[in-house]
Amino acid sequence: MILLLLSLQGAFAQQPPPPPPAEEEPPPLLKDPVLLEFVQAPYPPAAQAEGVQGLVLLAIEIDETGAARNVEVLRAAGYGFDEAAVEAAKLFRFSPAEDASGPVPVIIEFEYGFILDSSSRTDAVPQEVVEEAPVELPVNLEGQLVEMGTRRPLADITLRLEPSGLETITDAEGRYQLRGVPIGETKIKIVHPGFQPMEETVTLTEGQVTQAKLWLRNLSYGSAGVVGAYQREKVEVTQRSISIEEIRRIPGTFGDPVRVVQSLPGAARSPFGTGLLIIRGSNPQDSGVYVDGIRIPLIYHLGGFESVINPDLVAGVDYLPGGFGVQYGRSTGGVVDVTTKEKFPDRPHISWSTDILDSGGTFTASLGKKKQHGIGVAARRSYIDALLPIFTADTGFVAKPRWYDYQAKYIYQGDAPIKFSALAFGFEDVLFASTPPGFSQGTDQDGQGDLGTRYSTHRILVNLEVPITESLHLRFTPSFGNDYGEFKLGNAWKAANSQWVAEVRAELPWEPSEHFRLVPGVDFLGGWSDFEIILPFDPSSFASTDPLAEREPFSVAETQTGWGPDAYVMAQIRPLKDPEALLISPGLRFNYLNIPGELQQFSFDPRLSFRWAIREQSRLKGSLGLYSQPPQPFQAFRPDDEMVELKPEKSLSATLGFEQDFGQVIHADVEFFYKHMYDLIVGNPNFQSLDTQFFVNSGVGRAYGMEVLLRHDPVGPLFGWISYTLSRSERKDDPDDDRYYLFDYDQTHILSAVAGYKLPFDFEISAKAQYVTGNPTTTYGLGVYDVDLDTYNAFSTSEYNDRRLPAYGTVSLRLDKLFTFKTWQLDLYLDVLNVIRGKNPEFEIYNYDYTESDYVRGLPTIPGPGFEIKADF
Amino acid sequence: MLLFLLACSRIEVSESWQIDRLRILAIAAEPAEPRPGDTVRFRSLVLSPNRPVECVAWVGCSAEEGFGCGLEGLSGDSGAGALASSFLGIEPFSPPVWQVPLDFLDGLPEADREEGVPGIITTIAITDCSALQDASAETANELLSGDIDSSEIGFKRVPVSLATTPNHNPTVVGITVDGIEVASGVRVELDRKQTYSMTVALADDAVESYKYRNGDGEVEDREEEPYFSWYSQEGSFSQTNSLWDVVTVEYTTPELPVHLEQSLWVVARDRRGGMGWAELPIRIR
Repeated sequence: MILLLLSLQGAFAQQPPPPPPAEEEPPPLLKDPVLLEFVQAPYPPAAQAEGVQGLVLLAIEIDETGAARNVEVLRAAGYGFDEAAVEAAKLFRFSPAEDASGPVPVIIEFEYGFILDSSSRTDAVPQEVVEEAPVELPVNLEGQLVEMGTRRPLADITLRLEPSGLETITDAEGRYQLRGVPIGETKIKIVHPGFQPMEETVTLTEGQVTQAKLWLRNLSYGSAGVVGAYQREKVEVTQRSISIEEIRRIPGTFGDPVRVVQSLPGAARSPFGTGLLIIRGSNPQDSGVYVDGIRIPLIYHLGGFESVINPDLVAGVDYLPGGFGVQYGRSTGGVVDVTTKEKFPDRPHISWSTDILDSGGTFTASLGKKKQHGIGVAARRSYIDALLPIFTADTGFVAKPRWYDYQAKYIYQGDAPIKFSALAFGFEDVLFASTPPGFSQGTDQDGQGDLGTRYSTHRILVNLEVPITESLHLRFTPSFGNDYGEFKLGNAWKAANSQWVAEVRAELPWEPSEHFRLVPGVDFLGGWSDFEIILPFDPSSFASTDPLAEREPFSVAETQTGWGPDAYVMAQIRPLKDPEALLISPGLRFNYLNIPGELQQFSFDPRLSFRWAIREQSRLKGSLGLYSQPPQPFQAFRPDDEMVELKPEKSLSATLGFEQDFGQVIHADVEFFYKHMYDLIVGNPNFQSLDTQFFVNSGVGRAYGMEVLLRHDPVGPLFGWISYTLSRSERKDDPDDDRYYLFDYDQTHILSAVAGYKLPFDFEISAKAQYVTGNPTTTYGLGVYDVDLDTYNAFSTSEYNDRRLPAYGTVSLRLDKLFTFKTWQLDLYLDVLNVIRGKNPEFEIYNYDYTESDYVRGLPTIPGPGFEIKADF
Repeated sequence: MLLFLLACSRIEVSESWQIDRLRILAIAAEPAEPRPGDTVRFRSLVLSPNRPVECVAWVGCSAEEGFGCGLEGLSGDSGAGALASSFLGIEPFSPPVWQVPLDFLDGLPEADREEGVPGIITTIAITDCSALQDASAETANELLSGDIDSSEIGFKRVPVSLATTPNHNPTVVGITVDGIEVASGVRVELDRKQTYSMTVALADDAVESYKYRNGDGEVEDREEEPYFSWYSQEGSFSQTNSLWDVVTVEYTTPELPVHLEQSLWVVARDRRGGMGWAELPIRIR
């Protein structure tokens, strides 16, 4: 409602203190100070009520660091404007003025304007504008003001002409008109918070209307839409949502929003940064990954450097490490839900990005007279298959990984009271590794040949939201697609599975009042898979245990169907007068899985969570719930025709946490968690023959710990957070075992610090530091030599996971420079992984007879230059 | 990715072709595939770069018992004298001999007796014989856990069958160095820090053809696909193993050899339990 106007009188800059007459004049300034951070003063209520506007002339002393030191009023405006302007100006931050010796203190004059914007302006339009531009004079200067680089029309910005002193304000389309501008040269000056001051000279000719398109340069591109750019309704107890602009500036992520999860509390460091989701002491396969609520099998491309969804189409990432609601199922670990954009910009936008891994482009636009049809398409392709052989040239291996992904989305953006969108996306990853001629790949004659793996996912999903009544909505999301996975080694080994998957989500949210909401839903998952296995030996024959026995090739191909119509109901109760003060959310989920002829199981998961705003900036939160997870596909299979007798894995999870805001931009989040895991599926200790079940539900586990997140929102030049997790995760393969052993990825301390800072001239630097306790490992001693196979059989000389690898520590840096041209922008960056790295052992590798060992180190220092081009039309 | 990371990491551990400690490299049974009632004799290739090998003890077990069964006989109050019936011998005092029991295949279905089942032979090489003479339960455990310095334990399967074409050990007649065949045991001179191509020279009948009755009861004609393991005291091999159809390895002599006279060895395995080996003494000039 309130528009603030300022004007910077750069020409009046001078250096304090005033020099004595006998001394020399100070050297001339080589660089004027530039306002980097504007602080908005509150509009004095009395002035606002009376519709009064004001212009305060200030003298601001700026020190060598660019900070505003002393602020004095040179021309008062009264009505409380003077005090408000002084307090706000004291918080300004400038780039320092410089003379030949470097940064120097200066005093500038600054006009701080208080103007009521058009929505509240009635008779309060600046009188001088009306008076000085009589309506009887014709328009002889007009044009449009747009943002440089993005062509975004800029509304409600004041243009001032010199020397005439005429002023006008741009309309919603950024257009302006001026009447009676004196013929000849005139200067158009614009000084506006958040933009670089602009001055342009135009020449007006008698009897003609001069057109002038004006370009204004933003002081902070990308940050304007950051706050609240992705702000989901916070109904989960632990829902850490990070804005995309913030994420894309984090070093080591290659601009990928999903990888930020690795730097948040509760997520353990994955080996080699492969992006395995190890959340609160759970196995990687225990966590679910979703795109717009539809589950997909993988979220990262090969190597874990980038996710399978193009960042340009991602609106946000919800990371739910635990305590999540009943709408998410089939997981005992955490949830990562990637949400794609729900609206595309009115004007066509293209972008192209290139880094050391891949290149890709995005196109978005809104079509139709009312811009009611939003479309977005994106595609990427890697070229790491061309680069990797350079690093592995002398190893004998030729490894060629490659991937591509694509997305296409349509969004109905019209006025009809429905929401409709359709998303098609997919990806494929291929790893091809071969050995050169003359190089033996081990001694097994069937283990020779090229190694190949390939997996792909393709999905199409539709999202429809229809209001049935004012309080009742239908949300319907059907999806269908294919997942394919294949592994090949030479001609002797092959395993392939092509799975057609239909997933349908339907919810019927009923919200009779702001104090109560009921969400019944169905989460159906079904489909069929065609799998094929080729082995060089029959696994049911003696050859599988006696390496000297003759082998007979084995192959099997089958089609298997399965379906699980899970159902859930969740309530959101807000019992207090202020609905935001307390949220209690009970829920119940029914899980069912039927694989005809193999497996049938069902279970109930009750869950309860709450959020209580005990004060304006303090919230208490907690949850208690049961989580079920069906067996992995390979566990739900036995070679004979008997049913697999396995129950779902279970996790009873409890959390209690506290959130505290420190002002508007700093937030703290502390959360304690405990998870009791039972019915975990482990190898059958009594397995003797192929007519025995491979797996049993005898495993138990526990994970407990504390998570701390201290976060500075991306407001102003600084963003970042400190994340710390203290935890322990343990397992027992049999409940009667005497002791727990450490979970393979148990990491006691996980400390991550992420920070980014916007520098002058559109430079930006960001850093990420991480310290993590080493993973557990087991000690092996001298093996016994198998003379027939020429290998040593290892024997552990200690309890399983009895010690740890050394700690992991690393620092990564990223430097961005944004070049803004009139119609496009270029972002150049250098992303350097592991600038400082210790030994960082990922795992221990033994020599041939287990008498010596060494560590396989983490990633070396990898400089990753890249660029992104963006243009709007 | 793992390949890439392994490639980028410098793993500093010894290679299996390096003979830098006591090693059992090969054990050959004669006959390679006995029938029940046959007498089987054994020979081994055991190397120790610094100290001579004083003792090699042999025990035998059935497939069900596993490789360590005979070592239990080493424990007990009366020491080595109480060795179990599975005890086969201690070299050099009593050469190992295994009399295959006549009922060895009795538990096997008739149709499977052509394929047979293996007996397990465990071999313990020790540079100091007193470790065996002082045998006790603790000693046996230490041997099994590898805690006794200068000891090495290996095990080998000896297929016992009624095969119509029983297996024989492959005969390695020599090693071909840069295209020139050198008979086993004949010394050659090699230059320092030079790379030589090496292949195995096998006897004509080393790669055998044999009959195999498959799961459908049909008799197949098959041919062996042997592979070879290379060893040296100094220098380096381009790869530890070579295959029957990928026969060549590159050997690079050391720049500053500790011993001017030393040997290379190659062990041939026919994947059916048969083994043979050859030594190539070299002088580095």
